[in-house]
Amino acid sequence: MENYLNKLKQLEPLVVTSGVSRRDFIQLAMMTGLSVTAAGSLFSKAEAAGTPKKGGTFRMGMEGGSATDSLDPRTYADSVMIAASLAVYNGMVEFDNAGNPIGELLESWEAKPGAVEWIFNVRQGIKFSNGKTLDADDILYSIGIHRSGDTKSPAKGILAQISNIKAISPSQIAITLSGGNADFPVIMGDYHLVVVPNGFTDWENPIGTGGYTLASFEPGVRLVFKNRGDYWKEGRANFDTVELLNIQDVAARTAALQSGQVDAVNRLDARTVDLMKKNKDLNILRTKGTGNRFCFVSRVTSPGFSNKDLRLALKWGIDREKIIESVYSGYAVPGNDHTLDAYNPYYNTDMPQRKYDPDKAAYHFKKSGLNGEITLSTSEGAWGSAVDCAQLYQESMAKAGITLNVKKESADGYWSNVWLKEPFCAVYWARRLSADQTFTQVYGSGSDWNDSDWRVPAFDKLVEAARVELDEEKRKAQYFECQEMIAEDGGMVCFGITDYLDGYSSKVMGTQAHARYDMNDLRIAEKGWFA
Amino acid sequence: MLRLILTRIFLGCLTLFAVTILIFAATEILPGDVASAILGQGATPETLAAFRIELGLNRPAYVRYFEWLSNALQGDLGTALTNKREVLATITPRLINTLFLAGYAAVIAVPIAIFLGIVAAINEGKWIDRAANIVSLGAISVPEFFIAYILIFVFATNLGWFPSLSTVYSDMGFWQKIHVVALPSITLTMLVTAHMLRMTRASVLAIMSQPYIEMAFLKGLPRNQVILHHALPNAAAPIISVIALNLAYLIVGVVVIEVVFVYPGVGQYMVDGVSKRDLPVIQACALVFGGAFVLLNTVADILIIMVNPLLRNSR
Repeated sequence: MENYLNKLKQLEPLVVTSGVSRRDFIQLAMMTGLSVTAAGSLFSKAEAAGTPKKGGTFRMGMEGGSATDSLDPRTYADSVMIAASLAVYNGMVEFDNAGNPIGELLESWEAKPGAVEWIFNVRQGIKFSNGKTLDADDILYSIGIHRSGDTKSPAKGILAQISNIKAISPSQIAITLSGGNADFPVIMGDYHLVVVPNGFTDWENPIGTGGYTLASFEPGVRLVFKNRGDYWKEGRANFDTVELLNIQDVAARTAALQSGQVDAVNRLDARTVDLMKKNKDLNILRTKGTGNRFCFVSRVTSPGFSNKDLRLALKWGIDREKIIESVYSGYAVPGNDHTLDAYNPYYNTDMPQRKYDPDKAAYHFKKSGLNGEITLSTSEGAWGSAVDCAQLYQESMAKAGITLNVKKESADGYWSNVWLKEPFCAVYWARRLSADQTFTQVYGSGSDWNDSDWRVPAFDKLVEAARVELDEEKRKAQYFECQEMIAEDGGMVCFGITDYLDGYSSKVMGTQAHARYDMNDLRIAEKGWFA
Repeated sequence: MLRLILTRIFLGCLTLFAVTILIFAATEILPGDVASAILGQGATPETLAAFRIELGLNRPAYVRYFEWLSNALQGDLGTALTNKREVLATITPRLINTLFLAGYAAVIAVPIAIFLGIVAAINEGKWIDRAANIVSLGAISVPEFFIAYILIFVFATNLGWFPSLSTVYSDMGFWQKIHVVALPSITLTMLVTAHMLRMTRASVLAIMSQPYIEMAFLKGLPRNQVILHHALPNAAAPIISVIALNLAYLIVGVVVIEVVFVYPGVGQYMVDGVSKRDLPVIQACALVFGGAFVLLNTVADILIIMVNPLLRNSR
């Protein structure tokens, strides 16, 4: 209740500046944990009181950086660099708080029927920090560095669907895909795709269209940004100076926020966040169930795991609620054995949430005709609490009469040696940009990352059909069926999706839950202001 | 004497050379390389191959080692494979930070340890001896991050006397740095004092039971003269060794402190380098750490010889 007024203050300007609808506003407010009625009344109370004020030094303390970081967009892998990138650069497409793609430097787009040919309009009148005006060639170059033959960019895979890309005029780009994809603009919102001037390579001295310029950069330590003064977005880039400190240790981050040394931190510890909430000088923002999906994945081509009943036993034998209570202090939502979360418009709301059922687990195990022990490989290298989750799984399986061995692997090299190799191991999946991307990357027959090795032609056909389907009802039905197939037949036990827990000083405004990433889609430096 | 110093330095260089080969080999044996470490989940066979060719990782190990060695001998420590920054330029400010923290802790810890060690030895069995032993042993038995968190909780979060983040920047003044780095220094002091204190005490006690000390007292010399001029020089050798060892630890073994206090030192740089298999970074850090050990041990050896007339004048 003590945070009610603070939350009201945070959500007000959202209504005014971005004109969000009542329905989206309520969904947003619910993401922070408010009830429907509270959210509804908040909306009604919102007035035009939320005009951003300029000024101040904004200090962030974040996990997700290292001494080997670089501002080259092809190397981005974690939060610190993404947040830094969005201070000096702009993306091509950004996302509103409900997760819908909206234009950034590509201000609008249209598709010819069939969703194979797309035209994107380049926003006019935008200047880079060196004075150059933005045009189509800059966009082409910025996409090209992730596509060129020998690039090492992780974005190469998602851009592979582009068969042809060219500028029709300085303000328009035409893209032809190798197959129809109704979600293509979402792909253009990938965090690797930021815009630099044509031919740019001097990553130590970035030139972008963002609201700040880089003043100093010590990888793994700190970035300092100064406001450039003439940012093209109204009401954004409001701080004079932004300092982004890399603080990997969660206790150090928490202490820094409590002592006022920083104004914003990411990834608070779920076990101490309830204590933090009691502090009146702090505003803890919780985004429910949009974080990482924690899974135990079995490879369906391995001996034993090819048996469907065994896989069902694995899914019924895990106590999701207990793991969420014990390991995450309640700050996670149960997963339903596929990697979509409830904020995706195609999330299957018809499927009941699978709950722990030792009897069903025992039944399926017996029916599988297998006996003997199952070995689960896990490690802190998978995610911080993977070993704890595995141990709770072991207990809940024991109650169903199934012996689960927990094999602790080394954290170093986990992704090279254990993932995609061991028959049953722990994996986390970050949120993907769209249902199509999720199903293609995680479950598609052609994907290198199909860690359950579950390759079903009927599923692929369904995904391909949905990709070009422009009728929303039909598309929803297709994606619903996909989720049923995965949950019933697939090899993945996805038991939880974490909440994001951001901590802010109560002076910081413009902090809202976002459907994609924490820290207001890692754009808090661009979107926030001091009260 | 000069010959001795030169011999030691030569042997030290050989040791460093061996260290770099060992570290290089150890890193090669570890599974994965820079390409797979950076790309992580994002690695596909093509991006991995492209990365490796770009960084020259497809060449055999000994070729890459000798290339690194010949560059290093000319002063060029290369560029980090991960973010293309010059290693020398990145490691120098971090090394200065590490030395600053080590020096800060040493300046507090060494005098306290020696003074308390002597006091404890002189007052053997009395309460001050027991108290010094219990407190110092207690401090060294507790994990350093635990001490660190308690200090942060009491002095930073609650009392607000010191900041909880000890990050130093080049634009900070000297006294500001002293203030900011106080908590990690106190933590480190608590860690290393016990070892030096107990060694000092044991060494002085062993000397104090010698007949010539009793003779000095019988001659009527005052206590502090006996200790300073007759006992300490003979007790010095083990004390100097232990101090050198602990000073080396203060430089090399403080990664946990660096993480908890967010202090930009060489330890964190090396750990990040190892987890990304960034060989130039790892090799440079190995040189720094190995060099610190070698240098401190050499200085310790020389001091021990100078203090002992028997060794000083031999040959």
